[in-house]
Amino acid sequence: MSETYVDCTGLKCPEPVMRTRQALAETEGVVTVLVDNETARDNVERFATTSGCDVQVSRALGGFLLKIKPGETEPEATPVAGAACESGSLTAVFISSEAIGTGEPELGAALMKSFLYASAEADTPPSTLVFMNSGVKLVTVNGETAESVKKLEDRGAEVLVCGTCLDFYGLKDRLLAGRVSNMYEIQTALAAADRTISL
Amino acid sequence: MNSLPEETAPELLSSALSGEDAGVYLLSERTALVQTVDFFPPIVDDPYTFGQITAANAMSDIYAMGGKPLTALNILAYPCGLEVNVIERILLGGHDKVHEAGAVVAGGHTIEDDELKYGLCVTGIVDPAEMTSISGARPGDTLLLTKPVGTGILSTALKAGLIDEDGMRDAIDSMVELNARAAGVLSGYDLGACTDVTGFGLAGHLYEVACASEIAAELWAGEVPLFGRVLEMLSMGMATEGQARNRSYTEDAEVVTAGGDEERVDCMYDPQTSGGLLASVAAPDADRALAELRAGPCPSAAAVGVIRERGPRLVIRSGRGDR
Repeated sequence: MSETYVDCTGLKCPEPVMRTRQALAETEGVVTVLVDNETARDNVERFATTSGCDVQVSRALGGFLLKIKPGETEPEATPVAGAACESGSLTAVFISSEAIGTGEPELGAALMKSFLYASAEADTPPSTLVFMNSGVKLVTVNGETAESVKKLEDRGAEVLVCGTCLDFYGLKDRLLAGRVSNMYEIQTALAAADRTISL
Repeated sequence: MNSLPEETAPELLSSALSGEDAGVYLLSERTALVQTVDFFPPIVDDPYTFGQITAANAMSDIYAMGGKPLTALNILAYPCGLEVNVIERILLGGHDKVHEAGAVVAGGHTIEDDELKYGLCVTGIVDPAEMTSISGARPGDTLLLTKPVGTGILSTALKAGLIDEDGMRDAIDSMVELNARAAGVLSGYDLGACTDVTGFGLAGHLYEVACASEIAAELWAGEVPLFGRVLEMLSMGMATEGQARNRSYTEDAEVVTAGGDEERVDCMYDPQTSGGLLASVAAPDADRALAELRAGPCPSAAAVGVIRERGPRLVIRSGRGDR
């Protein structure tokens, strides 16, 4: 297995974490990080642990050496951007409209409602749902669909709602499920998913 | 900086060199001048918001001393090539905040520098009889905090691109908020010490209060309100170097924590920008003061500790009952 070495000496926080994150995203092998202060050591260790990696810390070269092995333990939390080391199959659902398909709006809305209901009841629900454009109405003004999404959230799904879109439709105060997110986080979540279903 | 000569003028009632929030200079029996200066690089992306936060932060020292700001001078360092529009927005944010405080911008000074920095030098007045300081804490006082903590961790996460400004909206709104109304509420009660929570973090500023007042402080980490996503961002490795500096600065502190609270204790050392007021209030007044703060300007205000006569200068516990 390949090994990547990242020298973070002389770098100010949060740079060591960002370089570690980048390295983990680019390789499936072990990433070894050298830092020269305790804050950077603790930060990189926390980041890697939160991302579900195994970390060994040792003193070396006047600083600390962190040996980071991806994916043998489950992530402790549901980190926003720490998906680099997660294992298993992750499904993301990307919803950019209030309705499924382009036919009669009424039919499309009914289809969307049953899709979200079925997802909430499914044996293997999606791990991430992203709501964009008029899709944000499904987690704000539409109480029925919001209820299904809330259920998905309670079952552990990460629900990301586009903040720009909420602003655009003036719905920021009316969020019933999920949390306000941004393009950076959404892009990271979609890129980290093993497969994405677009509706 | 122990090598600097000590100031001994009798009119100097309080000096920032001795750890106070601002310098206080007696002009007449009922009037003293309060002066403070603060500047730093941007901690949010939006220039207008940065200007507002910087001004709120600078004037906070005046409120912590029980004073009222009168005039402010801008200090600006900007890299050549920065758009004029950005500079205007920063200065407008500062101007609007100064005016909200009932003060005026009387001028300023600008230089070119590699990194953008903005700040203000603020002058205010205080009645010496009403002045609050960090040295007045009394055994038995309850410690009240008027804003949540975690702005250092969130600003680092913003710099790292892990969150955007919408993801830390509660912290930004809080940093923009003046401590004027909080100070107004507190002044109605029996106050011991008062300070504002900034670069030394909550634990660092409380440690200063404890040393200046020559008493022992106890901080309940589990009772301290945190902004949303602070713990999440800490677990993503978003602690600042300032946090470690603050921890080593308070190395006398006996830290007692229950299991699993290590991260909350870390937050006690997180450097704050435009943080809340930390006040020691006589115990019989504390509940009413807290209720008035919560119903009014500080919905997140909390009782976060107690002052004791004896013990280590600072003890950090998980909660009020933990021993």
